[in-house]
Amino acid sequence: MKKMILITVLLASSLFAQVKENIEVPYVAFPIKMGKGFDAVQANCLMCHSFGYIINQGRQSRQFWRGKVDKMIKHFKAPIDEKSAKIVTDYLFEHYGNNKEK
Amino acid sequence: MERRDFFKKAAVVAGAAAVGSSTAEANLTHQPIDNRKVSTVAFPEKRPLIMYSDRPPLLETPREVFTSALTPNDQFFVRWHMPDIPTHIDPDTFTISVNGLVEKELKISLNELKTKFEQVEVTAVLQCGGNSRSAFTPIAGGIQWGSGAMGCATWKGVRLSDILDHAGLKRDAEWIGFNGSEKAAYYETPNFVRELHLDELDDHVILAYEMNGEDLPYLNGYPLRLIIPGTYSDSWVKMLSNITVTNKYKHLFFMDVAYRVPDNKCECETPQKKAPKTKPIRKMNVKSVIGYPTNGAKINNKSAVVVRGVAWDDGHGIQDVMISLDGGKTWDKALLDDGKLGRYAYRTFRYTFKPLEFGEKTIMAKAINKIGQEQPFDKEIKWNHGGYKYNGIDKVTVEVV
Ligand code: HEC
Repeated sequence: MKKMILITVLLASSLFAQVKENIEVPYVAFPIKMGKGFDAVQANCLMCHSFGYIINQGRQSRQFWRGKVDKMIKHFKAPIDEKSAKIVTDYLFEHYGNNKEK
Repeated sequence: MERRDFFKKAAVVAGAAAVGSSTAEANLTHQPIDNRKVSTVAFPEKRPLIMYSDRPPLLETPREVFTSALTPNDQFFVRWHMPDIPTHIDPDTFTISVNGLVEKELKISLNELKTKFEQVEVTAVLQCGGNSRSAFTPIAGGIQWGSGAMGCATWKGVRLSDILDHAGLKRDAEWIGFNGSEKAAYYETPNFVRELHLDELDDHVILAYEMNGEDLPYLNGYPLRLIIPGTYSDSWVKMLSNITVTNKYKHLFFMDVAYRVPDNKCECETPQKKAPKTKPIRKMNVKSVIGYPTNGAKINNKSAVVVRGVAWDDGHGIQDVMISLDGGKTWDKALLDDGKLGRYAYRTFRYTFKPLEFGEKTIMAKAINKIGQEQPFDKEIKWNHGGYKYNGIDKVTVEVV
């Protein structure tokens, strides 16, 4: 218990963050591929997270990518209309696809 | 945050995010993706780590760090759900609120936490439920982590139960909701709130402000986070700002949909036939990771090599770590550390051997806990849609030269 009290006193005097000013989270340019439909991806997929999320998934099927777009709409309430959802899916399958529909 | 900034301020190119397409057979679980390179970018208070995303920040600890029982703060993995994290918190004005079904609502400052309550410490493993997710085929939902979405630290703070006692729980209190300060970018996106039942919260649960003798790093939840030893880290809310006591469970996305596994004995399902019922992932299963040598390392023939790594479970404690050098046919006991950091901490192991042949050599590690649970082979682990709880026998292949 004695030790506890000692620690308490010490701590009370060291109340500061290691970083006293704002922290700066660096911006990273992910090597996302350019191509048809990219505008729609940029407009619809960058609001909540970086392109790192897309790239990290590796090459996947059309169904997989359509599923992700739907997940964003259903679970995370991404405001994406059906027309954009199609364009984005085509783009993702074209550049991050594995040539399989399913 | 301005989304456009992504392009304007973009300064550095990310190298480590891409995943090679998996060579593994369909539906056979395999070793997680390994040997991704650390980024050239260092995040605040961190050394360069394996980087998947900047907003929200997702950073993985490289394998070679897992040779010691405590993971250094500047190499400790980072995982947020929402892009909007406060970039400044003033420790002099910060308070944590306790409200809802309590006799007395509280606003406690950091200084009060550190001086008015008993100070306690626990060393505990913090592991994402999706750690090693890249082991699953077909790809499971979420970030494709390797083995480093985890770390172990000594956490210091105050008991949650002391805080709740101080506030005084009303008779019908049943659920405790925890809010962090991370915010969704879009107003309709569900925020990351956790709710835990009172029964899940024992005296080991603490609100920690210190990690390995230092203030929590920002990216690990400065100034205060929840520590729930033995459980996966999805409920270890970071930048904790509010605790609300209720008598009714709220239905929240990150409680009802994310971080759940099939509610059946094998906790498994198939992509074609998903399990009808799910349950929260909660307790960690027994697991080990080899920190040295790493995949592709060159080691010298006829020269002693000390294999080192870490093993842990949900707090039953590690009984043994076994090593195999012949593909899992025979196993030999590794030496364990004295276990003084307690049952929730990494137990480090070491195993010395002398390679006697040139060429490839595979080293496997298997942990067994005190109630006899042991790690299965990777390919024996059945699929689940979220890719949670992978704990396959770890494997590294080196070259004897
Ligand atoms: C309204 C917010 C929002 C928008 C807009 C959004 N996402 Fe997401 N996305 C999320 C959240 C929240 C997660 C899960 C975060 C986490 O767990 O880290 C996520 C996760 C992901 C993942 C990781 C895999 C997974 O299953 O979790 C991928 C891939 C992804 N999003 C792709 C996209 C694409 C493609 C778009 C554009 C069509 C998009 N997102 C737009 C919120 C959003």
